[in-house]
Amino acid sequence: MSIYKTAVNKPITTLMVFIGVIVLGIYSLIYLPVDLFPEMDPPYISVITSYPGANASDIEVNITRPMEDAFNSIDNLKEITSTSSDNLSVIFLEFEWESDLNEASNGIRDAIDLMYDYLPDGVSRPTIFKFDLSMMPIAVYAFKAGDSYLGLEQILEEAVVNPLNRIDGIGSVMVIGTPQRRIYVEADPVKLDAYNLTIEQIGNIIQAENLDMPSGNIKMGKMDYQLRVEGEVRESQELENLVVGSFQGGVVLLKDVAVVRDTTKDLMLESRIQGSQGVRMMVMKQSGANTVKVADQVRKTIENLKKNLPPDVEVLEVMDSSEFISDSVTNLTQTMLWALFFVVVVVLFFLGKWRATFIVVLTIPISLIVSFIYLFATGGSLNIISLASLSIALGMVVDDAIVVLENITRHIERGTSPREAAIYATNEVWLSVIITTLVIVAVFFPLTLVGGMTGVLFKQLGWIVSITVTTSTLAAITLTPMLASKLLGLKTKRRVPLPFSHEKVVEPFLTWVEDFYEKTLRFALLHKKLVLILALVIFVGSLFLARFVSSEFIPESDEAQVSVEIELTTGLRVEETIKVADRIEGIIGERYPEAEIHAMMAGSDDEGGMAGLFGQSGSNTISVMMRLSPRDERERSVWAIADDFRDQLNQIPEVVEYTVSTGGMNMGGTSVDVEIFGYDFEVTSRLANELSEKIEAIPGASDVKVSRKDDRPELQVVLDRKKMAESGLNTAMVSAALRNRVAGMTASIFREEGEEYDIVVRFGEEFRSSISDLESFSITSPMGTRVKLGEIGEVQEYWNPPNIERKRRERVVTVSAVPSGVALGDLAQEINAVVARADVPQGIIINVGGAYEEMMDSFMDLGLLLLISLILVFLVMASQFESFVMPFVIMFSIPFSFTGVILALLITNTTLSVIAGLGAVLLIGIVVKNGIVLVDYINLMRDRGYALNEAIAVSGRLRLRPVLMTAFTTILAMVPMALSRGEGSEIWSPMGISLIGGLVFSTIVTMVLVPVVYGIFSRRGERDKMRKVREKFTFLNEHND
Amino acid sequence: MFNQAHSERVAFIFDRLEIRGFSWWNEVSGRGSESGEPRMGTHTWPELNSSALTIIPDEKVDPLLEAIRKLDEVNKEVGIRAFVMNVEKQY
Repeated sequence: MSIYKTAVNKPITTLMVFIGVIVLGIYSLIYLPVDLFPEMDPPYISVITSYPGANASDIEVNITRPMEDAFNSIDNLKEITSTSSDNLSVIFLEFEWESDLNEASNGIRDAIDLMYDYLPDGVSRPTIFKFDLSMMPIAVYAFKAGDSYLGLEQILEEAVVNPLNRIDGIGSVMVIGTPQRRIYVEADPVKLDAYNLTIEQIGNIIQAENLDMPSGNIKMGKMDYQLRVEGEVRESQELENLVVGSFQGGVVLLKDVAVVRDTTKDLMLESRIQGSQGVRMMVMKQSGANTVKVADQVRKTIENLKKNLPPDVEVLEVMDSSEFISDSVTNLTQTMLWALFFVVVVVLFFLGKWRATFIVVLTIPISLIVSFIYLFATGGSLNIISLASLSIALGMVVDDAIVVLENITRHIERGTSPREAAIYATNEVWLSVIITTLVIVAVFFPLTLVGGMTGVLFKQLGWIVSITVTTSTLAAITLTPMLASKLLGLKTKRRVPLPFSHEKVVEPFLTWVEDFYEKTLRFALLHKKLVLILALVIFVGSLFLARFVSSEFIPESDEAQVSVEIELTTGLRVEETIKVADRIEGIIGERYPEAEIHAMMAGSDDEGGMAGLFGQSGSNTISVMMRLSPRDERERSVWAIADDFRDQLNQIPEVVEYTVSTGGMNMGGTSVDVEIFGYDFEVTSRLANELSEKIEAIPGASDVKVSRKDDRPELQVVLDRKKMAESGLNTAMVSAALRNRVAGMTASIFREEGEEYDIVVRFGEEFRSSISDLESFSITSPMGTRVKLGEIGEVQEYWNPPNIERKRRERVVTVSAVPSGVALGDLAQEINAVVARADVPQGIIINVGGAYEEMMDSFMDLGLLLLISLILVFLVMASQFESFVMPFVIMFSIPFSFTGVILALLITNTTLSVIAGLGAVLLIGIVVKNGIVLVDYINLMRDRGYALNEAIAVSGRLRLRPVLMTAFTTILAMVPMALSRGEGSEIWSPMGISLIGGLVFSTIVTMVLVPVVYGIFSRRGERDKMRKVREKFTFLNEHND
Repeated sequence: MFNQAHSERVAFIFDRLEIRGFSWWNEVSGRGSESGEPRMGTHTWPELNSSALTIIPDEKVDPLLEAIRKLDEVNKEVGIRAFVMNVEKQY
């Protein structure tokens, strides 16, 4: 028994099956995490090796190079890049997307084991560091403080960080820029010398004095007493009165030789929120946790915690990625609801019956819900890719149900009972319904096979559309006939139609459209050459226009965030950096009223740890983060503001380099990198600087950067070993003494309210701020004599060589540029031209890469996808029609869908991104589907004995409604997506635009050109089937005795 | 001979006229001599017929033909035909 017959005969079973599916789907929907993109593990692993005391080129030769060679044979490795700097080698390994990183890190470990013995002695064990998206903060908060600024570290630790860490799904919470309390004992070297004291002595005395010690028990009478010596200072100022020595009979107190300062740690980093002092807190989630849920809880928790904070501490939300995500998801959900509404309107318009419309539209929720089950089962999430996929599928899932329902209605109108009509009508069409679905699946399924980053993104799209469309077909041949048999009745037509009923208004209009179309078609069939020439002209013309469409990787979205990294003159001290930061802050306050919150950090925190891994940091760096008002509340886009900021930064002379980036979650990156491979530093650096100047001159190129940094100034103490030996000193002793005097000696710990703070003894800053100060440092030799540093060596100014970067096991310098106001593809073209003109010395290879390279890779992938889709679609069609010619006839409409895409992109001034390109590929399936419906019917009519032109014209007329209906449902379902201007819409609206453009154009072409081409191809042989048959069966003409 | 869409109604007619015995063939293909769509069950002509053979006394023949005519009047497109033949001998 066939599936549709069972469905009609057992309506309750059918209903129960679908209700079961819906229940499962709703259950899945409730538990689906919400995220911006499908989960993907970035395939990067870095290996960090330290070799203390070696300079950059030693590191390169002895560590980086042999390790790179060892790693080169690891499976799935895509590219090796490395940086060798003083003391440190960082090798960055990029693997193919979706390769098993655990296996990869095992491979790395094996390679290290093999070659570790060959590394020089003293090299630390290499550390393998896996990059994880969960290390990116999901939310950043800022705490502004007044009086309690000094104690902020403690307050935050207890009142905020600990409660936050208890939230389920939180990976880690990191506070940056908190002031750390520290007690400095700053000595005056002249006085020390005068009292014959040293820093070390003072340090030891503080250590010896600041002490609590239990000393046993004393039994007295009936009691047992504990004996304790309490020497710990209770107040930091007590330190001043410590006796540090004696001189000429009197005691020397600490305050005689030094100043005790109970203060914050030396300024290395200034963190400001809205212009006043404050700190930033980054919240990271665990891998796989639901960003929106976690961020929501963080927000709620912080709201609750506010009352525990001192009144002068203000909490600001700098970044919350969940907000953008939930806004995008809400936006897409709205888009889908609009699409649903449009589909309902179209179906109602064409069918004119509420019950029929209900039956057809019911397939939408059922098909979509099945994809939730798929997402839940595979551990996916609701994200913009999956929701956009649902949006695309929405217009297509009704098609099958429409075809089935239409046939059932036809039977019922002939007077068949609904139950029988449902069975027999479904029997007539179920095969062709399945074939058209196969065509769609043939286009979407290959998406699941694409590799690379595009593949990770579009895998969900492929699966979701394939699954929903398949489900819709299943529903169309089971649920639709079942419901039709129950809901559609044998109604006698109303004698007199109401004045504004469907029959009075829409029917005449549709008939008029049909008449018009039939006339056009008949005209076209008589003027085949004219139609062909016209089509050719349009197609060639559009190819010509294609040159004006610019290309980019993945469209950027306005996430209302601007983050800026600024680098000032190398070696600039942090106080100077802060002055520049003040000026930048002034600019922000004055020029960007859109900035709701701005946070700034100047200098670097040496304990920042993680942050240092991702960007360069130093006393000369400033980072700014601005959160703008929501998109619809401001006039300037985030890019206009970024451009203006760049202009402003150009006017500050101290600024050497800067990167202005918009949005926190940008996937692909947008830079064009010119990689210069070559061994000689001098030659490559010169070439890099030359190119960077030329690239800067290109309009639209911004943030031009050379990756190799300028040499950094350093003071080096060059010791004379002979002179040292005379005083009994060695390098270790001298360097330890210098460290104690400059960086300071941590003598002891000061305890207050259960917290511990370091007591650091060192020279006062005014005594260590010039080369002559340094040379006059006195160091006590083991013989007890005092030696000035100047006597045993000299202090020299020295330029530290740059870091050595390598890629593909060769030295490389990268000049990178970010497009602003122009498309990535255009900028890359200009840069390519510059590179081509450049005078490249021998032995140097230049390669243009970066996001541009990724974009080209992705376009290649898309091209391949297009080819596979075409082949699969051809296979399906050729087997359906049992003909090699018919698929070609139908495929004639495909090039014109691209014409439509090009026109739509040009008219709306949209760039061709990977997303828009994907839209073009997907068109194949949808476009061909219309062609199949038409050609199939023409074949049918000809088999029924109509003459060629008559068959074409009649079937054109009869099939116009279904074709228009499926085309309109798909197009209108896409309109909300294309028009959407909300958060995150930049990413998916190009796909909507290209799909609509392609569909509108190709529908028109399908309806006119395909019949004409059919006419042309059918001239020979196909034309008169009757004669062919007669030629085959000749037995009647033979044996005529 | 009738369109399979008429199956239930034909069975109903047999019941109403108290015709107990009949033979029934499902999915019969064929085409009419003068008018009517061919019923081939192919892609071109997707519909199919069924046919029933019943041996009845002479007095039931006319009511049956009348019922069949009424059924055909509902919609000519669907189609039903009945042919009467004599039964010469019987086992």
